[in-house]
Amino acid sequence: MIIGEYKTDYGQDEGIWNTWAKKLGFVVALLLLLLIPFIGNDYQLLMAGQIAIFVIAVVGLNVLVGYTGLMSLGHGAFFALGAYTTVALHQFFPHLFPLITLIISMVVAGFFGFLFGLPSLRVKGLYLAVATLSANFIVLFFIRQDWLEHLTGGRGGIETPNAYFFGTELITNQQKYFLIVPIAIVMFLFAQNLFRSRFGRALIAIRDNDHSAEILGISLFNYKLKSFVISAAYCGAAGTLWAYFFPAILPEDFGLNMSITLLICLVAGGMGRSLGPIFGTILILMVPELLKMGAFYFSEGNASAQIYFSPIRDIVFGLMIIGFLIFEPMGLVSIWDRFWRFINRWPFAK
Amino acid sequence: MAIKRRTLLQAGAALTAAVAAPSIVRAETKVWRVGASLPMTGPFATAGQLVAPAFAEFETVVNDNGGIGGIPIKIEVEDSGYIPKNALANFQRALAGGDLHYYFGDSTGFMELVGPSLKGDQAVMMGSTSFASVLANPKERPYQYMAGPTYEDQFEILLRDVAAKGGKTVAFIYSDTEFGRDPIAHGKKIAAELGLKVVLDEVTKAAGADIESHVTKLAQANPDYALLQGYVTGVWPQLIGAARAFGLKTQFMGTFWAMEKVVADKVTAQAGPFLDGYQGVMPYRYFYDQENAPYYRELAAQKKAANPDFPGYVVTWELEGRLNLEIWKKSMEMTLEANKEINADNLMASFRSIKDWDSGGFFGAPVTIKDHKIGQGRVYRYSAETKLFTPSSDWFTT
Repeated sequence: MIIGEYKTDYGQDEGIWNTWAKKLGFVVALLLLLLIPFIGNDYQLLMAGQIAIFVIAVVGLNVLVGYTGLMSLGHGAFFALGAYTTVALHQFFPHLFPLITLIISMVVAGFFGFLFGLPSLRVKGLYLAVATLSANFIVLFFIRQDWLEHLTGGRGGIETPNAYFFGTELITNQQKYFLIVPIAIVMFLFAQNLFRSRFGRALIAIRDNDHSAEILGISLFNYKLKSFVISAAYCGAAGTLWAYFFPAILPEDFGLNMSITLLICLVAGGMGRSLGPIFGTILILMVPELLKMGAFYFSEGNASAQIYFSPIRDIVFGLMIIGFLIFEPMGLVSIWDRFWRFINRWPFAK
Repeated sequence: MAIKRRTLLQAGAALTAAVAAPSIVRAETKVWRVGASLPMTGPFATAGQLVAPAFAEFETVVNDNGGIGGIPIKIEVEDSGYIPKNALANFQRALAGGDLHYYFGDSTGFMELVGPSLKGDQAVMMGSTSFASVLANPKERPYQYMAGPTYEDQFEILLRDVAAKGGKTVAFIYSDTEFGRDPIAHGKKIAAELGLKVVLDEVTKAAGADIESHVTKLAQANPDYALLQGYVTGVWPQLIGAARAFGLKTQFMGTFWAMEKVVADKVTAQAGPFLDGYQGVMPYRYFYDQENAPYYRELAAQKKAANPDFPGYVVTWELEGRLNLEIWKKSMEMTLEANKEINADNLMASFRSIKDWDSGGFFGAPVTIKDHKIGQGRVYRYSAETKLFTPSSDWFTT
């Protein structure tokens, strides 16, 4: 029975993959991710790409909500900024290297994150959530403006460019997968490392007790704003990949609905945990699809039967979310924790 | 027991046959697959739920009559919740499920989202609920079409009717949506050509509009006619009600989605007869106008046979869905008659070549496809007493 992890130096204590199980898990996950584009059809790759993009945004939200303890209902706006910045940039530089677009979008989203993060210096909790709501309305207001229509497409949305990677146009979902997933992995690992640094621990200290953190010498002004900027930049990156992934973007894709979806993914997965965004995103994006497939299987796609199955499907999904909040308030990641505890202690204890 | 080489080969052959048999059977039972995303949940669930049975009925009727070219059709409907991204996932899943011969989309948003990806293996003939003008573009959207006139065409029909009835001034009142703004620029151009003066250009919220403020502006402009665009069930009845309460004599006109009898009847039942005299453009005959519509009479008989309690009215939203399916069927038949392979390119070529087609009464004149649309429509007037929309103009062609 494993009762602890024996570490012989400080480096081992700092390591992310400090047990054989974690190392193995990471390698298996990488192999699976490598396998998906070769065995998945277009639909499966559509979902995989969408999940990877959402994971980036939810990881970003996790920096702010999960680790810094600041609430936001405005991250859909930063997502939109990333997507529309990408489209606008490609109008001037059609073959712009995608990683450059990604960085510029992150800077733009990060700048707006800074602006909308300013209220966090004076309010927190629900008040901050309401303050950040405005980001959705302000950003979408400008996107819909006629005088910006040549850049944003206005209310009708706009067709998005394909990414060019070293002269190759990424057209198929399979090709796009190879752009999106590596970026998602790198950004995930960056965020995971962030909280092993002084900066990350300062954010956690602010979350746990901001007054105590300030007494310890942590500048709330500095760290809270940086957290907002990093978090918004992640959503900006997700927006860029969204624009590359889908053939067109519409203002309705973003805004409050997306902000809430990102937050639900985080809560369902587990706030303040690095794996939480992955579990939550898979759950929130895949369960409706699985329920839809189940309804399709039982109804055989019959239109009349779907009249009854469709609302039932929504009710089941709603009940499932309530069930999660009641029985797994710490998110899906706590099931993952229990599973590994069970493996580590087996066969001596459950 | 020792396994001999012969036994092993026999077992292998048997196993191969067992594995291959289902695919052979599947190949023999070929069907024409049709996919559809309908909003069974979400803001337009009412429309989706009303339209859905038509897809099942269409499948039954076509298959009972021998299918298309002797092959049955299979319609697979999924819910989109009126979210374009969901409809895109439905479409991709339908594509992954094998040959897909037609797809019906539920919104302009979905059609715009999926449009650029319809090429190569993903090309599928696609109709939808949308009348957005941008979709009637064979060059940019070679696989998408609409079963009626665009919103620009509908506005043009209304303006021509206004001019014919001696109107001099018009107001454009529309929601601040893509749907609302769609025909406005074209409408202003046509109004200028017809010598009509646009005295008010008023944008409202799509829902929860400030009715009093809009009606005050309308009263100041006092136009002969007010053309409404970009509404389905809300705002337009309130606007008309408030204008009538204000004593305005302005006549109100709407386009397809604000012309459903069920909505007008409900408003009349709940709030009084102020919609009396409301006019608008409808591309299709209303279902009760069956004298020159054999298709409608046949459909009514089918519905009555299937359901003795059938109330005798089919909503215009269902008529649009049915017409989309009929156009696909017509394109299929033309392609098969020409001994061409059924694929998106050939289906759309057949569709584009439809000329003087007798639609069975949907339209007043034979149908000829131009720019992937059918530019016909007629102005109807609502009577709060009879609860019917009746023609107030002849058929217009754009």
